[in-house]
Amino acid sequence: MNSILQFKNIQKRFGSIVALNNVTLEVEQGSVLALLGPNGAGKSTLFGCLLGLIFPTSGEVLLREQDVRDSDRRSFGYVPERISLYPQRTVWENGLFFAKLRGHDKHELEKQLKRVGLYNVHDRKVSQLSKGMLQRLGLAIALCGQPKLLVLDEPFNGLDPVLLEQLQNILRAEKERGATLLISTHTISAVENLATHVAILLQGEVAATGAFAELRTRYPEQASLESIYHAIARQSRNAKPEEIAA
Amino acid sequence: MKTALQIACKEFSDRFRSGWVIACTAVWLGAIALTSLFGLIQIGKIGWQGYERTVVSLLNLVQYLVPLLALLLGHDLVVSEREDRTIALSIASGVSRAQLLIGKFIGGCLALAFPVSLGFVIAGVVIGLGAGRSGLASFIVLAFSGLGLGVIFLALGLVVSIFCSTRVQSLVAALLVWCAAVFVFDLVALGVVVSTRTNEATKQIESVTDAMHVNAIADMHQAFESGVDNVPQAKPAATKILFWTLLANPVDLFRVINLPVTTEARVPAPVIPLAFACWIALVLSAGFWRLRRLDL
Repeated sequence: MNSILQFKNIQKRFGSIVALNNVTLEVEQGSVLALLGPNGAGKSTLFGCLLGLIFPTSGEVLLREQDVRDSDRRSFGYVPERISLYPQRTVWENGLFFAKLRGHDKHELEKQLKRVGLYNVHDRKVSQLSKGMLQRLGLAIALCGQPKLLVLDEPFNGLDPVLLEQLQNILRAEKERGATLLISTHTISAVENLATHVAILLQGEVAATGAFAELRTRYPEQASLESIYHAIARQSRNAKPEEIAA
Repeated sequence: MKTALQIACKEFSDRFRSGWVIACTAVWLGAIALTSLFGLIQIGKIGWQGYERTVVSLLNLVQYLVPLLALLLGHDLVVSEREDRTIALSIASGVSRAQLLIGKFIGGCLALAFPVSLGFVIAGVVIGLGAGRSGLASFIVLAFSGLGLGVIFLALGLVVSIFCSTRVQSLVAALLVWCAAVFVFDLVALGVVVSTRTNEATKQIESVTDAMHVNAIADMHQAFESGVDNVPQAKPAATKILFWTLLANPVDLFRVINLPVTTEARVPAPVIPLAFACWIALVLSAGFWRLRRLDL
């Protein structure tokens, strides 16, 4: 397995609450990993550990067998669940600030804004954008510089069907370019045609992980990724995660 | 360093757009001009005072206003971005926590230094044209030490901002820091002197309150007129206590630098920039210690 990213025995506690419990995952280079799980399962916390936002209580995150450094994150693209930008600054100013932090210039930003269809409103203040536009701006910032790893936290939330399709097309293009994608989502149907690998987090533990095709053969009676997810969630109520993953 | 400067530029630009820098310049310039014009109104004099008298009149204003401005500026540098979640995108973009801290600090320093320096320069030129150049050096010392005082309190505000989890908490904590540094510290220091060294207390109080600012009736202008010889001199033991007391509070340090007539407990000139630098380094280290452990 040509893994680009490894989460090794990640545990995160917030006081007495265990958000992540010995999470071990490998992400293949060029794959699209759909990280599924209910609210509070620990998906965003896991992404936080990768992105340097959250310090794991124990365990490590490795990028090509080495600890992830701050400078490595310049080659990551990140779309947070709630896009938070500077509301009194324009689309262009916000984009340029974050693009420059990652070492990219205005031409790259212009290209990505055009790609997501926001260049025509580049002088509009962020406070005047709709949720969909904000989501696209977040995506444009993340896409700057052709990132090797794209991390998207609930990217499909609240999108209308047209925007959803547009986003799926962009993500498909990124996959074809060779980028590795990590997508956490509740909208399981939206990643069904995109994901090459699936990881299911339940109560901070990995309930199942593997290639999507492999999961399909493991659950032949389930027609869709969503039904596979529900089957695994049902099983996990009565069994230990290791037994399911095995 | 490039990343830190990008953050600093954005921070300064945000403050400029918000009107903070302009408002601060206006307030500061007005305060200096009014102090210089009306500083001697109690003795029936109106008009531009020279630099030396302006410095004496400005001491209280600088020691109260500059720390307050700096704390108000610094208290939301980090906590506001945590509340708004914008900090997450910066960190996820490869910005290290040290770069974030330095960038925020430099940006805050620029936003503070711009109005304070501009105020001093404009007022300095006007005073010079109106009242002559005599005592310019003391005015320059006041400007630089005032700026240094502001930078220390900006760093304190930044650290408060890192330690607090909401803007409101941070504002309250910043105001408490201001009260502690400007009022409480000196009261406690005097209380300690009185309670532990009763025999020498009276003379020491005279000495200490002259260098600090608790004694509301201390007439600094009279001291300015009468010179060093008429100022009560402290005993060596009191001097030593006073020396360390002055180093422990940047406001007192600032005051002792600028008093036209000081007590025996002078802080040696080379120690002053060192003390300012130590304060900034210590405070920023505390901020970095906390920031590198903080889940964002």
